[in-house]
Amino acid sequence: MSKSGFGIEIEGITHGYVPRSGKPTVALDNVSLSIAPGEFHALLGPSGCGKSTLLFLIGGFQKIQQGTIRTARGLVSEPGPDRGIVFQNFALFPWKTVIENVRYGLEKKGIKGSEAEQRAKHYIDLVHLSGFEKAFPTQLSGGMQQRAAIARTLAIDPDILLMDEPFGALDAQTRRIMQEELLTIWRGTGKTVVFVTHDVAEAVFLADRISVMSARPGRIKRLVSAEFNRSADPTIHKSPAFNDMVEQVWEMVRDEVDQARAQGH
Amino acid sequence: MVRAAYTYFPLVLLALLWEVISRSGVISQDMLPPFSVVMRALWGLIQSGDLLSNGTASLTRAAIGFVLAVGVGALLGAGMALIPWVYRGIDPIVQIFYPLPKSALIPLVLVWFGLGDTSKTFLVFLGCLQPAILATYNGLRGVDVLLGWSARSLGATRFQVVREVMFPAALPQLLTGLRTALAFMFLLMVSSELVIATNGLGYLIGNFGDQGSYPEMFATILVVTALGFLADRGFLALSDHLLRWRP
Amino acid sequence: MREILRWLARLSPIFVLLLVWEAVALAGLVKPFLLPAPHAVAGRVWHDLASGQFALNASLTLYRALVGFVLACVIGVPAGILIASERWVRWLAEPLISVGFPMPKIAFLPVFMLWFGVYDLSKIVMVCFAAIFAVVAAAEAGTRGVDKFMLWSARAMGASRADVFREVVLPAAMPQFLTGMQIALPVSLITAVAAEMLMGGAGLGGAMLAAGNYADSPGVFAGIVETSVVGLVAVAGMTALRRHLLRWHAEFNPRG
Repeated sequence: MSKSGFGIEIEGITHGYVPRSGKPTVALDNVSLSIAPGEFHALLGPSGCGKSTLLFLIGGFQKIQQGTIRTARGLVSEPGPDRGIVFQNFALFPWKTVIENVRYGLEKKGIKGSEAEQRAKHYIDLVHLSGFEKAFPTQLSGGMQQRAAIARTLAIDPDILLMDEPFGALDAQTRRIMQEELLTIWRGTGKTVVFVTHDVAEAVFLADRISVMSARPGRIKRLVSAEFNRSADPTIHKSPAFNDMVEQVWEMVRDEVDQARAQGH
Repeated sequence: MVRAAYTYFPLVLLALLWEVISRSGVISQDMLPPFSVVMRALWGLIQSGDLLSNGTASLTRAAIGFVLAVGVGALLGAGMALIPWVYRGIDPIVQIFYPLPKSALIPLVLVWFGLGDTSKTFLVFLGCLQPAILATYNGLRGVDVLLGWSARSLGATRFQVVREVMFPAALPQLLTGLRTALAFMFLLMVSSELVIATNGLGYLIGNFGDQGSYPEMFATILVVTALGFLADRGFLALSDHLLRWRP
Repeated sequence: MREILRWLARLSPIFVLLLVWEAVALAGLVKPFLLPAPHAVAGRVWHDLASGQFALNASLTLYRALVGFVLACVIGVPAGILIASERWVRWLAEPLISVGFPMPKIAFLPVFMLWFGVYDLSKIVMVCFAAIFAVVAAAEAGTRGVDKFMLWSARAMGASRADVFREVVLPAAMPQFLTGMQIALPVSLITAVAAEMLMGGAGLGGAMLAAGNYADSPGVFAGIVETSVVGLVAVAGMTALRRHLLRWHAEFNPRG
């Protein structure tokens, strides 16, 4: 698999919505961001800062109101298999078994029969779910369901991997293991990753660069380079450099949380 | 107000469509009297007092049966939820009557109570009893055990837990079940009066149909429909008020 | 063996009820006209079975109920999906549903008799009309309730809009479709029996009403038993269908 991948160019994105009751809200205000090919990029911020909205716009799930988003395939206008996505609630098809879920995207690409079977098995192996191919999602734990969802997305071999707080619903231990496995997979495939989270340590641990976002209107307040993700050292969490960085980023986020609270959110 | 007009405007369209279909002869006026003719018949029924006397008779029987069913059903349902031996004694009996189509009880009440008010009231009671039992039972059983435990740890007695914690927590499901029972009430009210025809709105509908007084028949059907709708909306408004603590 | 014993113990309240009923009837505490003894009722049921009377009446009632029910499903599910997917259809249909849902549909029977005559057609239309509201309402709620992220996942994997509808919306809303049908099936039976009572003739409802009019109380009670059995079989069949179609669903896979 190529190490080069494809980047993302985000320019002047402004996005608002009108809630059922209340006044119109600006979720994103003139956001521009350039994500390099093969970069692991984290969008970090308090709830309501528009980080998920930005991710959904890159995915093409919501209509872009103002600005442009460009990938190697051109301007983003609708969802496509070049941008795979993993959601917090897994969004597996509960009526399909694990392997049927993984095969779904392959079949959309026209890959069928024994080749689809082999590719699906390969990715199920990759996320350590072998032996559970025939299980229905509801028979699996949360961590296993998320592994299946990641396998399903990796199987269509997208250029870009979009992840919306994918480990947010998992317990602390599972979460840590999944983070390490995600990095291993990422180092092996060199895909561009955009990862939404509100967990500072998670962002610092995983990302090359972190966009620290502000709430209402959502803007990118700071861009931070972390780059702890290049080493496979399991004790990196304990290093002073790592902890300093977490403290530093937390200070930036805390300002935002305080401001958001002052605004009554 | 504007919202309600917007929401219910399609009903006006339906009435217009009805008028046009009938007037234009797409469906003959014998089969479907025009809406305006039906309205005139309705006015006649109101003036003659037929509607009021029969409506009162229907609603009185239905309301008595319904209230009795809710009272008895709530007691039995609560007993089943809270006391194991009551559950063991009643549950199988509730279960075997579950698949029984309630309208099959009409001949039974006819044999037991004859043509009078009692037979129809008792039918409504029987028909609404089971949804009332199940709503109370399922509501109370569905209450999160931890709610009761936290109340106990805050110093509530067992009885207080039931009254102050379990009952409010069970209320949403209880009300949903009672809404079903309310629909059953109208259904059984009308069917019993259609079969055991002495008086009431169901009797009026059947009787006008037999006589060939179709505008009056349609007018009475509209009245029954409106009553069912208004009772349902009223019940929903009451539910929303009682459950205003919900998100 | 122990399973069977436990099952019998669970059913013991029913046996007690039957015994008390038999004792009351034998002791002559209540007139047999009001409360025929269980053995008399059982005898009548047996007689109906042996003479083929039950098979005839039950199949007629089931025919009317099931044809009406299937029509209600075939029309109601697509209608519910359409109402959920098109704004203007929803605007048109919503007040009709909220008026029609709580309405005692049986009040329309004389109308259907006027329009469709006094034979099977009017009964079937009556059943369909009574059952369809529950089907439409559930289908609409199910379609609207499909998880947005599941739809987006499918789109991101390259599914077209038509694929998403067929491969995601339909299966995801299936539990709700079935719930609507599970509500509609007993309604269909209730309505079929009520329509038969009102219109007379063969069928479980007509037979019971005839028994009631001739003060034949064992006949009335036997009719109730027979109708219950038919209802039980229909409801059990529907539950089994649900279990089969939704074997992937959390409600049948306790670990989730």
